[in-house]
Amino acid sequence: MGPARLATIWALFQGLLLEALPFLLIGVLISAAARWLAPGGRWLQRLPRHPLLGPLTGAALGFALPACECGNVPVARQLMVGGAPMGTALGFLFAAPVLNPIVLAGTWAAFPDQPWLLVARPLGAVAVAVGLALLLPLLPEGELLQADLLAERRLVQPLKEVSLLERRGGLVGGGLQEAQALARAGSGASPLRPPLGEAVQHAAREFLELALLLVMGCLIAASVQSLVPRAWLLAVGGAPTLSILALMLLAMVVSVCSSVDAFLALGFAAQVTPGALLAFLLLGPVIDLKLVGLLGLLFRPRGLILTTAGACLFVLLIGQWINLWRL
Amino acid sequence: MPTVPLLRRAATWRAGALALWAAVMLHSAFDGRLHLLLRAMYHPLVPLTGVLLAALALLQLRQATTAAEQRRPGTKRQGLATAATALVALLVLAIPPAPSFADLAGQRPPDESADDGLSFVLPPLERSLTDWVRLLASQPDPHLFAGDPVRISGFVLPVEGQSPQIARLRVRCCLADASPVGLPVRWPRGPVPAADRWLAIEGTMAVEPDPAASGRERLVVVPQRIRPIPRPRRPLEP
Repeated sequence: MGPARLATIWALFQGLLLEALPFLLIGVLISAAARWLAPGGRWLQRLPRHPLLGPLTGAALGFALPACECGNVPVARQLMVGGAPMGTALGFLFAAPVLNPIVLAGTWAAFPDQPWLLVARPLGAVAVAVGLALLLPLLPEGELLQADLLAERRLVQPLKEVSLLERRGGLVGGGLQEAQALARAGSGASPLRPPLGEAVQHAAREFLELALLLVMGCLIAASVQSLVPRAWLLAVGGAPTLSILALMLLAMVVSVCSSVDAFLALGFAAQVTPGALLAFLLLGPVIDLKLVGLLGLLFRPRGLILTTAGACLFVLLIGQWINLWRL
Repeated sequence: MPTVPLLRRAATWRAGALALWAAVMLHSAFDGRLHLLLRAMYHPLVPLTGVLLAALALLQLRQATTAAEQRRPGTKRQGLATAATALVALLVLAIPPAPSFADLAGQRPPDESADDGLSFVLPPLERSLTDWVRLLASQPDPHLFAGDPVRISGFVLPVEGQSPQIARLRVRCCLADASPVGLPVRWPRGPVPAADRWLAIEGTMAVEPDPAASGRERLVVVPQRIRPIPRPRRPLEP
C-alpha cells in the first residue's frame, strides 16, 4: 500500500467521522433529554407489547426523532434501558433511520422521478424492522443484550417479569442508585427527576463511549472501501440477484448516513437493477461497517450476527421481489 | 473516603476528552479541511457540534468539583478510553487530510448522472468541467459541441489503457461518496502530466473515434494552453 493510498484512507476516515459525529451528538442529547424529562420511563413500559404493533409503534417513533442511524443507537439504548418492550425498541432501532422526515425528504429530492422508491423505501424499512423485531427476541434477552444494558433494563422491569435474583446486586450488593431504583420499582412510586448534573454526566459518558466506537467503525469502513475497487461491485449491475448482493455489500462498506445515502445512490442508479437500488437504501441504515461498533454496545456478538444475517436475508428477498415487479 | 485530586477524578478526564473532541470539530471547521472532506451544506454542523461539545465539557468540569465526584477516582478503563480519545484527537489535529484524488477516483466508477439542462444556458467558456460532463450525459451527440471553446480546470486522472483525463470529484455528502467526472484530453507531444497534478486548460472541443468502443465517437479537449495550478481551496464539486 503506497503513501497515496494511506493518505486517501486517512482523508476518507476524517470525512466519515466529521460527518457522523454531529448526528451522534444529536442522538446522545435526545437520549439525555428523554432520561431527564421522563425519568424511569414509565411511558416506555406502557408501549404496546404486541409482536406486530410493538415494532410498528417503534418504527413510528422515528418520525418524532430526526436522527440517522448513528444518532439512533443512543436513543434505542435509552428505550431498552427504560424498559420499553423489546419489539418496540428494535422496531425503532432498525426502522427509524429511514422513517424520519429528513431521510424521506432526501430520498424524494434525489429521486423525484421514481415515486415507487419513495413508497417502497419506508415500507421496506418497516418490513425489515418488523422481521428483525420478530427474529431477535428468539434469543433470550440474556444472550441478546450486553450485560450492563441488561442490568439497567432489569432494574426498571416490573417484578412480575424479572425475578429479584436476575437483578444484578439486588438491594444489598448494588450501588445506591440501583437500590433506589429497585425500591421505586417495588413500591410503584413515581421516580424522581435526576439532577441536571447527573444527566450531563450520563450524556458525556455515552458520547465518549460511542465516539470511540464510531472512530473504529470509520477507520474500518475507510480502509475497506479504499482497498476494494468500487467498480468491481458495480460491474454486475445488470444481473438481478448478483446486483442486489453487490449493492448490499456496497452499502455495508460505504457506511454513509441514511440521511444522505439516497444522493450517493443517485450516482449509480442508472447502472443497477431497481431491486439492487432499493436493497442499497434499505440495508445501509440497518447495518454497515461503521455501525458494527455502535451496535456492539447494545448486542452481544450472537445478537449482532443474527441482526446482520436477518437483515441481509430480508433485504435480499425484498430486492428480488422488486426486481420481479420492475424488471 | 479521602478527597481525590481534581486531575485524577473520572469526571475531569471526561471533561478533558470532550474538550479534545470539541477542539477537533472547531479546528476542522476553521482550518479549511472541510472543503476537502464534506459538501458545503453540511459544514455548519461541524462548528455547531464543537460549540455544544465545549459546553458539555465545561458542564462536566463543573460537575467534577461536586462533593460526590471529589471521591470518585478514574478507573483504569476510563483512563485508557481518555488516552485513546486524546490520541485520535491529536492525530486528527496534527495530520490534516491530503487525499490523492487520482487514487480515490481510480477506484470509483464515473458519475453518469445527467443534468436538467440548465448548463445549456451557460456560454461554453463559462462551463466548468462538471458542467461539460453533465451536459454530455444529457445530450450525448458529440457533434453538437465540436469547435466550442473550453476553459476548465481539474486534476490529472490516469485511465487504464488510454491517455489520462482531466477530472473533478463530485461529492454528495462526504469524501466517501466522491465519484469522478472526467473529459478526455488530446495531450500535446512530450511527457504526459503526472497523476494528481492540477491543471487549467484552455482550448477547443473536437470529435474523435472512441478508443473504448469501436464505431462510436467521443468529445475530446484539444488544449491550446495548459497551465499548472495549485489545488483549489474548494476542490470538490456538488
